[in-house]
Amino acid sequence: MAFTPPLEKYAGKIREVVIGKGDKVVKLGGHNAMPGCIFDGDFPNLPKIALEVFDSAPEDWAPEAIKPYEDVVNDPVAWAKKAVDVYNAELVCLHLKSTDPNGENVGADEAAQLAKKVSDSISVPLIVLGSGNAEKDGEVAAKVCEVCAGQNLLVGLAVEDNYKKIGAAAIGYGHCVAAQSPIDVNLAKQLNILLDNLGVPLDKIVMEPSTGALGYGIEYTYSVMERIELAALSQNDDKMQLPIMNIMAVETWKTREAKLDVDAEPTFGDLSKRGILWEAMTAVDLILSGTSLLIMRHPEAVRLTKEIIEELYLGK
Amino acid sequence: MSRIILTAAIRGSHAIVNRVAKKVEEAIEKFGPDQKVELPNTGYYLPIIWGILGIPVTKLGDMPRVVEYCKNLLPPIPDEKNWLPYLGPGLDAGMATLLSYDMEEALKYLEDPLPYLPLAEDCDDEHLWLGAADDRIMRKRGVEFVDGTAPGFAAIVGAAPDNETAVKIAKELQEKNLYVFMASDHNGVNMAEQLKEEGVQLGWTTRLVPFGKDTSAAIHAMGFATRVAMAFGGVKPGDYVKILRYNKNRVFAFVMALGHVTDEWYAAAAGCINWGFPTIADSNIPQILPTGVCTYEHVVSNVPHDQIVSKAIEVRGLKIQVAKVPVPVSYGPAFEGERIGKDAMHVELAGPKAMGVEFCTSAPLDEVQDGKIELVGPDFKDMEEGSRHSLGILVTVAGRKMQEDFEPILERQIHHFLNWAEGVLHIGQRDIIWLRISKKAMEKGFSAIHFGKILHARFHSEFNNIVDKIQVNIYTEEDKVKLLLDKARTVWKERDERLAGLTDDAVDTFYSCTLCQSFAPNHVCIITPERPGLCGAYNWLDGKAAYEINPTGPNQPVKKGEVVDEKLGKWKGVDEFVYPTSHNTIQSFSAYSIMNDPMTSCGCFECITVVLPMANGVMIVDRDSTCMTPCGMTFSTLAGTVGGGLQTPGFIGMSKFYIGSKKFISADGGFKRIVWMPKALKEQLKDMLVKRSEEIGIPDFYDKIATEEDATTEEEVIEFMNKVGHPALEMEPMM
Ligand code: SF4
Repeated sequence: MAFTPPLEKYAGKIREVVIGKGDKVVKLGGHNAMPGCIFDGDFPNLPKIALEVFDSAPEDWAPEAIKPYEDVVNDPVAWAKKAVDVYNAELVCLHLKSTDPNGENVGADEAAQLAKKVSDSISVPLIVLGSGNAEKDGEVAAKVCEVCAGQNLLVGLAVEDNYKKIGAAAIGYGHCVAAQSPIDVNLAKQLNILLDNLGVPLDKIVMEPSTGALGYGIEYTYSVMERIELAALSQNDDKMQLPIMNIMAVETWKTREAKLDVDAEPTFGDLSKRGILWEAMTAVDLILSGTSLLIMRHPEAVRLTKEIIEELYLGK
Repeated sequence: MSRIILTAAIRGSHAIVNRVAKKVEEAIEKFGPDQKVELPNTGYYLPIIWGILGIPVTKLGDMPRVVEYCKNLLPPIPDEKNWLPYLGPGLDAGMATLLSYDMEEALKYLEDPLPYLPLAEDCDDEHLWLGAADDRIMRKRGVEFVDGTAPGFAAIVGAAPDNETAVKIAKELQEKNLYVFMASDHNGVNMAEQLKEEGVQLGWTTRLVPFGKDTSAAIHAMGFATRVAMAFGGVKPGDYVKILRYNKNRVFAFVMALGHVTDEWYAAAAGCINWGFPTIADSNIPQILPTGVCTYEHVVSNVPHDQIVSKAIEVRGLKIQVAKVPVPVSYGPAFEGERIGKDAMHVELAGPKAMGVEFCTSAPLDEVQDGKIELVGPDFKDMEEGSRHSLGILVTVAGRKMQEDFEPILERQIHHFLNWAEGVLHIGQRDIIWLRISKKAMEKGFSAIHFGKILHARFHSEFNNIVDKIQVNIYTEEDKVKLLLDKARTVWKERDERLAGLTDDAVDTFYSCTLCQSFAPNHVCIITPERPGLCGAYNWLDGKAAYEINPTGPNQPVKKGEVVDEKLGKWKGVDEFVYPTSHNTIQSFSAYSIMNDPMTSCGCFECITVVLPMANGVMIVDRDSTCMTPCGMTFSTLAGTVGGGLQTPGFIGMSKFYIGSKKFISADGGFKRIVWMPKALKEQLKDMLVKRSEEIGIPDFYDKIATEEDATTEEEVIEFMNKVGHPALEMEPMM
């Protein structure tokens, strides 16, 4: 008798979230099986990768991370263009880091104008994130929504303390919301419910479960993501059936391993390869955890990750 | 008497529909049916007609169809004698009125000169009336409705009796972050004109928006609300049920009628009831009080001007937000652990050597004045440095959803709320409070009144769902404190008795807690009156209040449902809740058994109860204990085995309170099974244990419980049991 491999059928399916408009759209999610299990279900959209761009020149980056962008770090628009035109980014993620009230404290209006400029000058959809200060992020994101009305950006980060501001503006001006919860399944679900109650359609939300880098808590991220996916697929939990994104490059590149010179830590090996591999390894882990969207930094790490994605999902 | 109102409304609507029908006819005659009609820059056509009927009116020729619709909607004018008051026809009449107004106002945009200032956000010197908001304004302002920056609007028709009152009402509404939409007139004057005369800036920027002087211009408020439902609620045009429901549930709007209420006003007010917007009037007209379409009352009248805003807010069920705690010192959890030594202290309040009382009670809505803070006796600055004074704090709250059961929960919060202020030390609750105010706080101008400000702000922000009004009385005068103390003590006694009388059998709903799923993913606590959450921090009343306060939170009501096993404490409703909530891992829960499907533990338990099979009883060990226990494991080793949301017969994690409960493992023999506990725990719970010993008819049972001084192994426990004649030895085997 021939061997029939056991198949796992799931009751639920992840919603498909569309980011962008017109001929620049990217679709996330839509699958109905656990990561990589192409024999169990369908994966209409493979995990996507966005390259990140900062609104001001980064200061303490590893030399290897700076290299690809050396000529554009002072010009976010040029940076975004290079990410798309030279490094084939599928999406661009603009970090409005200088809006941080404890830093440069750039105003919401100015930040929103920049977001618009970047969005208008690239041929792929844009993700816009704030500085991580919940209150200010709310203000900035709301302004971004208004200024970029109708472009269907992915804006964030919406957290428990600012979700109303971001959610309301996203509904009003037609955008998607990136919703971040502090590494906890129930809190992730609760934020989805809150956004849903506010009126944000569930197919316009992407979850960010809080991302740890390889060696720095990635196992927690893995476990939360697995549980979100299981709740969504096995238990058919409607409020969990949203694609997941991971803001991972910022985490990866601040690790010791990505930054420390070989002289300081001889057993670590060649620094120029190390950071890239650290990023790529983190990315692969997150793919196996069920991500639909990665925010990455180094083009070479992206290339390596894409290879794995194709191998995993397309058998190439 | 709603009959008079509805009759007037229906009469009014007939007049309006006929007038508009005529105007439409005339306009078609003058401009032809192909003449375009539109409101400035909107994708929602004539918004009421588009939203409610799904008909896109773009030219005059589209209007007769809508006029016909309105005529069909009109109920006959009620017969003076034989007519039963009924809201339905009145609502239809109101709807016909608003649909007609939508056309009447659109026709104005064909007039020359145009009576409105289209596309402008603010009025200028010549133009007071703005007319319909365009989509840009609607989106920008609508966002505020959704994110809560502006909870809603007051649609004001008419004018205040004088300019001063107009300004006062406008200010008060602005302070509540509400938009003020103004239309129509009373004796030829509109409130916007009154405000303009007083030099108040008008327009969207100041949230005081003059729409127009005709009553029909009030339609721009409704058009705005209707567009918000389509733009933000994703409601499809023509899906009138959803449009109306969205507005009722999410847009906190109401009509404020200032001046003589005409038939036409009645008709418009009836229309607004469809959207869930009640009318508050300053004149003496009949009321429609019973709840039905609107959240609470429909028409409330004869309200004095100094109360009209707060009444409107109450009737519409609007929640007040106080963004920042208004005190001159820093405020936040960081100051909770702050100590104030003798040298740093300005005064001491209450404490062991003076009287003190903190008491929270509830009262009917009209007896509480929100934000009122009263001090009787000297303020801190008038107290001698280093002196000691008595203190009484009385918090009186009112709310539509407030229940007496919530009073103690609110009262317990007073401690945290006050302690968060920098320079305030607060210890204890009820009549054992003890406070110190630091010299530094005094330098910054801290006053006894600020206690009231803190409590007012924090109760509003934390208990928004159950509390609508908060008033605080502070007493530093000896006799007043005494009076309050006496009163509070009587109430506390009643409360304690009531809590003691609350049993599992007496309620039909338990509450769940899934707070701990963050680290024990499949764990669920079922909280019953006689078995609190195992962490000891949540009892049944807390669960109930927490659910009212945050309906999507971790505490959900669990209907007991059919009894599956009375002795074990199993109910169908509980099992049906636990299974999916534990992610399909726990099939059934017994509330009263340690052996048979016991409740799971996350890891937060105050103590652990373990079966000692040879002793035929149980031992209890608490978190503070470090000693070896007769089961061969210390608390910390046990904790590792019991936690994680697993169902382990023979082991349960639980609260200390549960030990003294009549339901304590009652299915397995109950209290009599206790054979061992650490000495410190036993002494800590002495009163409770002795009381239970008496209740079970073995008054010296307390002494039959061994401690680590008597036994550290199961064998030694048995020896001790034999020596004291422990009842468990005679009971049927546990396993
Ligand atoms: S232990 Fe306490 S906090 Fe945790 S789930 Fe139970 S009741 Fe809730």
